[in-house]
Amino acid sequence: MAEYTVAELMAVCLAREIKDGDRVLQGLYSPLPMMACLLAKNFHAPNMVYFNTSDVIDPEPTEVPFSSAGPALQERAVAYIPLWQTFDLAQRGELDLIFLGAAQVDKYGNTNLSVIGPYEKPKVRLPGGAASAHLCAIMDTVIWVPRHNARVLVEKVDFITGQGYLTGGKAREEAGIPKGGPRKVVTNLCIMDFEPETKAMRLVSLHPGVTLEEVKENTGFDLIIPDKMETTEPPSKEELEFMRQIDPKGVRELEFH
Amino acid sequence: MEEKLYSLQDAVSRFVKDGDVVAVGGVGRNRSPMALVREIVRQGKKDLHIVGREKGMDFDMLIGAGCVKKVSFALVSLEEFGLAMNFRRKAQAGEIELDEHACNSVITSLRAAAMGVPFLPLKGMFGSDVFRVNKSLTEIRCPFTGEKLAAVKAIKPDVTIIHAHQADKYGNIRIQGSPFEDILKAWAADRTIVTAEEITDNEEVRANTHLTTIPYIYVTAVVHQPKGAWPASCDHYYDSDMEEVKAYAQAIKTPEGFQEYLEQRVLNRRD
Repeated sequence: MAEYTVAELMAVCLAREIKDGDRVLQGLYSPLPMMACLLAKNFHAPNMVYFNTSDVIDPEPTEVPFSSAGPALQERAVAYIPLWQTFDLAQRGELDLIFLGAAQVDKYGNTNLSVIGPYEKPKVRLPGGAASAHLCAIMDTVIWVPRHNARVLVEKVDFITGQGYLTGGKAREEAGIPKGGPRKVVTNLCIMDFEPETKAMRLVSLHPGVTLEEVKENTGFDLIIPDKMETTEPPSKEELEFMRQIDPKGVRELEFH
Repeated sequence: MEEKLYSLQDAVSRFVKDGDVVAVGGVGRNRSPMALVREIVRQGKKDLHIVGREKGMDFDMLIGAGCVKKVSFALVSLEEFGLAMNFRRKAQAGEIELDEHACNSVITSLRAAAMGVPFLPLKGMFGSDVFRVNKSLTEIRCPFTGEKLAAVKAIKPDVTIIHAHQADKYGNIRIQGSPFEDILKAWAADRTIVTAEEITDNEEVRANTHLTTIPYIYVTAVVHQPKGAWPASCDHYYDSDMEEVKAYAQAIKTPEGFQEYLEQRVLNRRD
């Protein structure tokens, strides 16, 4: 089997969440989602529509840029589309998936990119959640976490920037946001989803070489553990070759240094 | 059409006033109007309310230099170069007022201003603490269907600052590539200042009508400013200057480092 890095494995896991024909938006500072969209389009989902923060549709970059809104990410695109028009599509229910990063993710998939500590007097002021408070309420999301540990995977986020399943169960419906929600959480250790009734986070598969104990120790709440544990399928030789070809400088490794 | 060519200094001193609501063009470190930002810092403008969706060094520098009282934003970050430390320090110290948004609620507040209406409705937002803490977002019901929606209050910029590729001396602007929300920002504002890589002849503009992205009726001042986005990128002209962004990210780790950067790279230098 070919050697691969955890970044490459995660990129492939994110790509597998994209179905053929999906319309997918990649945000700012999103190296792995950028790789995932390009992978999906090149392999299993040639008819997916790739939107990004360079405000273009379907770019075909020869080499991916460090800034995920850089001009190089406009290469060979079919058209410019201002982000607000992409958001209009989302409001009409015509955007299928976005990828979401976060400083904290809780057991119901709520994400925090705003503050650690109280909002008015924060211990740490974070960058802000970009599109999340709007898009997480109206469409499907997949969350990626490069560092799976108990400070990131927490029982309850300090501040809900991006809506997950709120307090679980039917809380989303009750809040008036019936559509969408987090589908999966892909970390450097494993893949998780959400149990359909309680909407609590549930382990789906462990990455090759990762133990259940390791995941439990690094998670700040009790994960639901399924009876049957899967092992995440590693990237194929072709997927690895493709990533290394479009990303010779290692943009995909940015979050892992 | 009147001629609107100004020097960078004159454009900022005449059209940016203390206390102004300032919409800043570009996204991340792409086509950010950095020469205008540096000139605002040099002229020591105060109490500005800056507005933008996903911002970087431009917002961080204005905040660090003490020009800012309030920030309307969805994200302020230097992307892979790390946190916008001036933003972080001043926010943690309670020295700036934060008007935290989602990208689309910032954009919608500008769309409302551009349309001349006091607010616009938006789907989503409910359940987020951003909606709970932000005083310019509130719940309404659609008068026709009863649907629950978020009302987003208009933000009307006093002045919008943009860096573009080309302009004629009357203020007909060409942005080549993604306009981001720059066109909306110009529509929404009372005044718009545009720095341009090149000044084009009006005859050339008239011969290529389809290339004009912002017509002169929205533009107050034009400044001929090659490399006016530096160290941000300007699509088709230059990419972002990674060394300079890195130097900035390093400098802002401490207030002293930032002060030194300002003195060397901004205050004692002209664009």
